[in-house]
Amino acid sequence: MIFLSDFLRAEIVDNRQRRVGRVGDLVIKIIEPFPVVSHVILRGRGKQAFPWSHVRSFEAKELALKVPREELRPEPADEDAIWLARDVLDKQIVDTDGRRVVRVNDLQLSPVSGQLLLVGVDIGGRGILRRFGLEDLGKSLAHAARRDWAQKLIAWDVVDPVASDLDAVKLRISHQKLAKMHPADIAEVVDRLSHRQRDAVFAALSDEVGADVLEEMDPEDQVDVLEALGDERAADLLEEMDPDEAADLLADLPEDRAEALLQKMQEADAEEVEELLHYEEDTAGGLMTTEYVAVSSDLTAAETINKLRELEPDAESVYYVYVVDRNENLLGVLSLRDLIVAQPETPITDIMTRKVVSVPLDASSAEVAEVMRKYNLLAVPVTDVDGHLEGIITVDDVMETVLSGGGRRRLRIFG
Amino acid sequence: MNLRVPKTESIRGRLRPRSRWSSLRTWALPASRLAFLAALGPGLVSGFADNDAGGITTYSVVGAQFGYGLMWALLASMIALAITQETGARLALATGKGLADLIRERFGVRWVAFAVLTMLLANLGTTVAEFAGIAAALSLFHVPVIVSALVSAAGMMFLLGRGRFGRIQYAFLAGGVAVSIAYAVSAVLAKPDWGQATLFTVVPHISLDQVYILAVVGTVGTTITPWGQAFIQSFCVDKGLRADDLTATRLDVTAGSFITNVVAGFIVVACAATLWAHGQTSISDAGQAAVALEPFAGKSAELLFAGGLLAASLLGLGTVPLTSTYFATEAFGWERGLGWRIRQAPAFYGMLAFFIGFAALFVMIPGLPLVQVIFLSQVFNGLLIPVILVFVMLMATDRRMLGSLASGRILAALGWTVTVLVTVLSIALVVSQLIGK
Repeated sequence: MIFLSDFLRAEIVDNRQRRVGRVGDLVIKIIEPFPVVSHVILRGRGKQAFPWSHVRSFEAKELALKVPREELRPEPADEDAIWLARDVLDKQIVDTDGRRVVRVNDLQLSPVSGQLLLVGVDIGGRGILRRFGLEDLGKSLAHAARRDWAQKLIAWDVVDPVASDLDAVKLRISHQKLAKMHPADIAEVVDRLSHRQRDAVFAALSDEVGADVLEEMDPEDQVDVLEALGDERAADLLEEMDPDEAADLLADLPEDRAEALLQKMQEADAEEVEELLHYEEDTAGGLMTTEYVAVSSDLTAAETINKLRELEPDAESVYYVYVVDRNENLLGVLSLRDLIVAQPETPITDIMTRKVVSVPLDASSAEVAEVMRKYNLLAVPVTDVDGHLEGIITVDDVMETVLSGGGRRRLRIFG
Repeated sequence: MNLRVPKTESIRGRLRPRSRWSSLRTWALPASRLAFLAALGPGLVSGFADNDAGGITTYSVVGAQFGYGLMWALLASMIALAITQETGARLALATGKGLADLIRERFGVRWVAFAVLTMLLANLGTTVAEFAGIAAALSLFHVPVIVSALVSAAGMMFLLGRGRFGRIQYAFLAGGVAVSIAYAVSAVLAKPDWGQATLFTVVPHISLDQVYILAVVGTVGTTITPWGQAFIQSFCVDKGLRADDLTATRLDVTAGSFITNVVAGFIVVACAATLWAHGQTSISDAGQAAVALEPFAGKSAELLFAGGLLAASLLGLGTVPLTSTYFATEAFGWERGLGWRIRQAPAFYGMLAFFIGFAALFVMIPGLPLVQVIFLSQVFNGLLIPVILVFVMLMATDRRMLGSLASGRILAALGWTVTVLVTVLSIALVVSQLIGK
């Protein structure tokens, strides 16, 4: 296995074994799945570089060229390209397989038919010791202790580089691999990143994925992210979020910003969110979402199922179908199972459960959780004093409030 | 998707007004009644935390030994602290990364290893000082060192391991603040020679005397510390501070530096007016140091001193090892933070345990002169701080890394002046120790 650390400071000789200089850095060109080394930068000498095509071989810490040194003609290196030692080594990357942020201790390179590919990242202790020239010592110690000392390598094709302070380099990082992770995992990874890196990641995510990731983050971090985004983009993300989550987030923002964002949001989305903003955060009203499925009582089972197909409700609001009268009084509830096993032409009033368990708008989150636990509900309707259906609370929202503080705490040095 | 027509009214209700300081709003929410202290910014907290066992003891020793003679060093430290803390805060605000992260990314793995070694050595000394502070405080109640060290080590590991330290640290902080106020009152009541105190504050007195240099290095070393430099950065990052928080943060670190050294000044004045004025120029135990609080507290001086020293030491005992382990794990990219289980972050917890365990065992050495040990640990900090400052200053002017938050010419010049001065001081100390006697 060869590593970047083997190349750095390695001697460069020409085709007649005459000394040319030492390796300062390697420049790569991003090619999927594995980037290719395009240039070698000479150490010192004002960052001069020559193409990798001049290289004949790399053996025993010596880079041999195909050409005599007179013909090499190095040119100034491209500052905006990705330099391995400058931009990747010692920086942070996201291991999208292991779903964590790790530091690059070394980079594994592999010669393939005349080209040198970047194939892996060394994130282990061996990589650190190798940089100190102590890998062999570590190996013999491990051997003496009869322990297997494995390399900790991750393949480049599951790596998402996140840490470069160079804007030019940042633009070349698409974060495609990161975006394919589960939103909850992205949220956890993003939590480990600096605000700069986080902004860069959010800039690259689609509205839909970005909204899902936001929903999974701590309120404090949500505010941080939104404050750094422009109004247009922030409003786009809020539209994609569940109305209850969006309302919670807006309530945490400074008032003028929240109003500005509501203005920018599409009217329908904004109205739903505004309405939810009336309720106190830790009550049923604050927890509920207005995205639920309610149908009028004169439908049949088949008509109701067709209605569902039309509405395409989100996963979390489809557990139950609520039956209401003209005045939106909650009459009954149907589970998906009830609908599917019923004969198509059965009126839903025949199969619905009439004694609906619901919670009042001002119920506390603990009361809501208790009701859901007791009746084994995935979602519970929220009604006002007159029995009007106002919204529903789904199990995921209750879990968040009940378990908050139980999850992994943030890294904090103080407070 | 629902059938209901939404009613539209005003959107007030849960929207709360918020000022420009809004980004400082989220500064921690401890469950205790001391929650108001959580509104303190990183600069103020590290300012208060700076007056830990090492601080209180060093200022007491210096005040007793030289009277008002070293007051100028406090003023110089105040200015220097404001400069170094602002520089550190700028690094954090611009990049959102801790000090070790930045050293690793900017200088590579070898240099960060050197920085980690320096940081750990200095902080190990400070952790020993915190244990010595606890032992000295409790010795007033005749608690043997072995007992106080074991109990506090076990207690602190429990608090940290269970993630409870976050709740209790504000109580310790409050204890430290209380004793600071007591010193201020005591200093006034002791009827010090204010004229002399002022004179010595503004006119530096340079001496090449070995003991004097030792005292200067100790005074500077207890104020501008390696851990303080790492702490301010981590704290700013934790608070999610960004470039637009610069003005508020500058105000915060300046206020923090001011308060730290004003408190230090009161401790020195109180000791000068009580101990030094009565010919008691050396302090060998906590009981003697407590005399400085007698003008205020009378017979309860010992109790007050012990309580304050204990609170300040406990705060440091949690904060310093934590800062150290953050620094080292950050440098090598290991999992860190008290949110992990021990098996998930073995390096982090291992180092934390080593820090606390080693320091606890160290103070149990029979017959250890506690006050001397605390004082020397601060001198040791002063010797090592140049290393950390060089890294900080080299990065502070890097526009590619910091953009508009890079230090301007004036701040950079001030920063390097501080760095050169502390370096000269360290060299002077080493030289004076080698040729002395």
